[in-house]
Amino acid sequence: MFEVLVAALTTLLLAPLMIIFGRRFGIEGIDVHKPWKPRIPKTGGLAIILGSAAGISMLLWFSNDGISFPILAACLIAGLIGFYEDLQGEINPKLKPLLLVFASLPILFLGAYTPRPVIPFLGRTRLYRVYPVLVMISYPVVCNAVNSVDVLNGSVILTSIPFLVMSITIFYLRGDYRLMMIAFIILASCIAILPYNLYPARTFIGNSGSLFLGAAMTSIAIVGRMEMAAIIALIPQIMNEMHVIFSIGGLRSAKFVEKRPVRLEDGMLTASREKDAPITLLRMICAEAKVSEKTAVWIMMIIACFTAMLGLLTDVLFIEGMIQ
Amino acid sequence: MKVLRNLLLIMLLITIVWITLLFISYIISVTVFYTLEHLPSAILPSILRVVIGLIIAGAWIIGWYQLTKAWLYKILLSRKEET
Repeated sequence: MFEVLVAALTTLLLAPLMIIFGRRFGIEGIDVHKPWKPRIPKTGGLAIILGSAAGISMLLWFSNDGISFPILAACLIAGLIGFYEDLQGEINPKLKPLLLVFASLPILFLGAYTPRPVIPFLGRTRLYRVYPVLVMISYPVVCNAVNSVDVLNGSVILTSIPFLVMSITIFYLRGDYRLMMIAFIILASCIAILPYNLYPARTFIGNSGSLFLGAAMTSIAIVGRMEMAAIIALIPQIMNEMHVIFSIGGLRSAKFVEKRPVRLEDGMLTASREKDAPITLLRMICAEAKVSEKTAVWIMMIIACFTAMLGLLTDVLFIEGMIQ
Repeated sequence: MKVLRNLLLIMLLITIVWITLLFISYIISVTVFYTLEHLPSAILPSILRVVIGLIIAGAWIIGWYQLTKAWLYKILLSRKEET
């Protein structure tokens, strides 16, 4: 558990430095859901990346297990793409998924996957040719899905925590302590950034943080052979991303979407009633209601907890008996 | 209270999606994945099997979107705006 402590402390100590770094170099974003529209450094994700990297590196140092390095490399590639986006502005929405495919390469080239996923009711499949393609597709899908819920202070972290807790539970039940430690390390970094990222946020985690976490969850699901549980646990994020793409008619930059899904009234969030506004999870939460940002983000977390429980239930009922 | 109603309705929608996802994953496994991995000798039934699997999966994705759209506009945003 020393690695977990290192990850948490590194993130906690680096977060204030990253805030200074973000302000110094103007890596900032506008907090649009506050009436006074403050400028917030979007460098908190770097503290998560460095904290998790420190923890996983220690794990790698103490027990060269063959899975820590591919997972860390995949996460770092995605985090780097996110950081480039934080620095240079939005990457072309059609190019970004292609770039995120690179995050799958460490897992594929280092063979850190088992192409025999267990499907409910069917059992273990043999997807030797198809599975690598699915691995490549999964990184852009999940990373963008996790990125899409980055709409409120703390929303990505609070919706990622249930997934990580579910993963830890599954690995504990299986007795897979290596993957349990990796999930624990990332969870520790997430919890450590919360004091800075929760409402009112002193730092955003930025694209670097959300893409890093997306890649971490994808890697954990693939290496840990909990694909089905992961898909179910990530339904809120996937639903959010997919419905936005459908409702705005394809992969387009949010900047060019005229109608907003929610609007701010007297400091409270309320859903747009316009038919052509994007369909998002937040819009559904705020339908016909005036919700504070703080409440909305906790509601998002409750939904993520619910899907994580469904994921765990699916894993226990349909997967675990057939995994070996 | 409206937020609580919205939360419960979203959870109900997700439960429907979860149940149908389990069903769809089974359908894809016995159609698309099975054919691609086993490469059976009879080409026409295999192609048909993949096409049917993909159509069902595509229909499910569109169905999911349409259900969410209906859920938002017909249930969650159904009442007139308060003045």
